[in-house]
Amino acid sequence: MAYQLLPFRFEWFNENEYLLTNEVGEYIFLQNNDFQRFVNGELDEHSELFYDIESKQIATTDKVEDVVQMLATKFRTKKSILRDFTSLHMVVPTLRCNSSCIYCQVARKNMDDHSADMTKKTAKNVVKTIFQSPSPCIKIEFQGGDPSTDFDMVKYIIEEAEWQNLFKKKELDFVICTNLTLLNKDMVKYLKKHKCMISTSLDGPKDLHDTNRPLQNKKLDHHAIFEKNLAMIRQIWGNNDCVSALMTTSKHSLGRFKDIIDEYIRLGFNNIFLRSLNPYGFAKQYKEKIAYPVEEFIANYKEGLDYIIELNKQGTFFVEGFAALLLKRILTPFATGFVDLQSPAGVGIAGAIYDYDGNVYVSDEARMMARFMNYYFKLGNVNENTYQEMFNGELLHHIIASACNECLPVCAECVFQPYCGADPVRNMSEQGDMVGFRPTNEMCKKTKAIIHYLFELLQKHDPEINRIFWSWLN
Amino acid sequence: MAVMKFPVVELAKDKFQVSVDMSLYAKEVIMATIYKFSHLFYIHQQTDTNNQTLVNVIFESKDNNMITEDIPKQFCNELIDQQIRYNTNAQFGHIRDMIVQEAFKPVTSK
Ligand code: SF4
Repeated sequence: MAYQLLPFRFEWFNENEYLLTNEVGEYIFLQNNDFQRFVNGELDEHSELFYDIESKQIATTDKVEDVVQMLATKFRTKKSILRDFTSLHMVVPTLRCNSSCIYCQVARKNMDDHSADMTKKTAKNVVKTIFQSPSPCIKIEFQGGDPSTDFDMVKYIIEEAEWQNLFKKKELDFVICTNLTLLNKDMVKYLKKHKCMISTSLDGPKDLHDTNRPLQNKKLDHHAIFEKNLAMIRQIWGNNDCVSALMTTSKHSLGRFKDIIDEYIRLGFNNIFLRSLNPYGFAKQYKEKIAYPVEEFIANYKEGLDYIIELNKQGTFFVEGFAALLLKRILTPFATGFVDLQSPAGVGIAGAIYDYDGNVYVSDEARMMARFMNYYFKLGNVNENTYQEMFNGELLHHIIASACNECLPVCAECVFQPYCGADPVRNMSEQGDMVGFRPTNEMCKKTKAIIHYLFELLQKHDPEINRIFWSWLN
Repeated sequence: MAVMKFPVVELAKDKFQVSVDMSLYAKEVIMATIYKFSHLFYIHQQTDTNNQTLVNVIFESKDNNMITEDIPKQFCNELIDQQIRYNTNAQFGHIRDMIVQEAFKPVTSK
C-alpha cells in the first residue's frame, strides 16, 4: 500500500456511497467501489480522489508522526471543553411553582407550601462549593419549581456569589429559568442590574402553550401574561437578547412545528431549539397521554428544519439550535460544549445541579431520578461533603469512565461519533445501566437520524443552504 | 420467497442459520455483528460439527419479530463492514492511540 490509513470511521450512507469521518470530525463521501479500493490500498495516491481523502486527514503519504501532531492539536482543540472542569452550576432555590405543566417531573410544590425551599445555610454552602470549581467561568442557573417564587433566595445567592467572586475573580454569569408570569418591574430591574439573563419556556401559540403549560390558577391566561411580561422585560432591558426561550415537544405539539416556529418569530425570537420530551419517569398511562415514538419526533423535526431553512431563504434570519450545534461540530474545528451531548458526557464535569436540600446531582435528569427514589447519581450534599469528596470522588470517576462514546459499544465504530455524545444518566434511566444498548436507544436513534439528515442537506451542495448553515455558526 | 442459497439456510419457520467462514471473518467481527441484531432475535452461534472452519449463527424469532430472508442477508452485509473495520483498525489503531496520547500529554514548561 502506497499510503497509510489514518483513523477513520465509516458507514453506508445510501445505496451508492459510504460516509467516512476522522477523529476530529472531518468527512468525505466515497462511492462504494472507491471505498473498497481505498481500504484495500488500491487507490492511486496521485489521483484527485486520493488528494481529497488526504486533505481530510483520512490517509497520508507523509510521515505519520507529523500527521499525528496535527491531528492531536485538532483533537485537543475539540476536547478543550474538558480543560476548565465544571462551569455550569444549576441551583434549585425552591420547588414551588405556579404552573402545572403536563410534562413536569420535579414534584413541584404549591405556592403556599414552603417545605422545599432552600435555607440560607444551604445556599451559602452551595455558593461555597460552586466557587471551589477550578473553572475560570462560572454560570449559576436558577431552576425550580419556578425560582421567581422565591425571589429573595435568588437575590441572596446572587449577592453571595458576587461577594465570593470579589476574591475569586472569575467570569461570573447568572441565568434564571422562569415562566415569566410572576416577574414584576422591580424584579426585572434587579436581574438587569446583576446581569442575570432570563431563560423561559415557550411551547408555541396560545392554545398549545396553555395546553402544555397551564397555570394552576385556571382563571389566569398564561400566554397573555407571558406576552405582556416579555414586552415589559425587553422594554426595561432595552433589547431582545435578555430573554431566550426553550420549547418542549409534547404529543400535542406534533404536526404543529410550523405554528410553533411562527409564534417564536412573532414574539421576536430569532432561534428555537426543537426539543423532544424525555418522559422516562412517568407512569405508563400518563406517558401514553403526552409521549410519542421517537420516529414521530424525527419526522416533525425534519419538517420544522425544512421550514426554518425556507424562512431563511426568504430573508428571515432564524436559527434551529440543535442543527447549529451539530453543524458547528461537522463544519468547524472548534470545541462545542453542550452538557447533554458531548464526550465525555458533561455530567458532573461540565454541569451539576444543587437541589433545594443541598443534595448535588450530576445533571438535572439525575435529580429527576432521585424523585423516584433512585439516588445513584447523587454526588453528595453541600452541608455534609467537601468539594473534593463530591467532584473528585470514586462515583464521579466511575460515571465518567462509562461516559466516553469513543469506547462505548456501537458508538466506538459509529461514523457520527465525533459529533455525538454519551449520556450515562439517560442510559441508566431508560435502559438500566450506564453503558446502554445503542440499537434500541432512543437518544441514539434521534441523534443519528438528525445528523444523517444534516449530511443529506450538506450533500446537496446547495449554495443557499450552505450559506444559511454558515450564518448559524457564529 | 426467493430461493436461498448457502450460507443462509431456513431451519424452520422463523429460524434461520447463517454459516460464517472463519477463514474470512474474525471471531470479534462475528460478535460485533451479532450484538447489533440481538435486540430483535435470539441468536446462537456454534462451530459446525462437520467443518471446524465454519461457525453457524442461528437466528430465532423473539417478541414476535418476523424473520424474513432479508435479515440474514443484512447480517452478511454487516459482517463485511465489521470485517473492514477490524482490518482497518489493525492498520491505524495504534495511530489513534498516538493521537490521544499526544493530545493529552502534560504540557512541560521550561
Ligand atoms: S449514540 Fe448513536 S449516533 Fe451517537 S455515536 Fe453512539 S451510535 Fe453514533
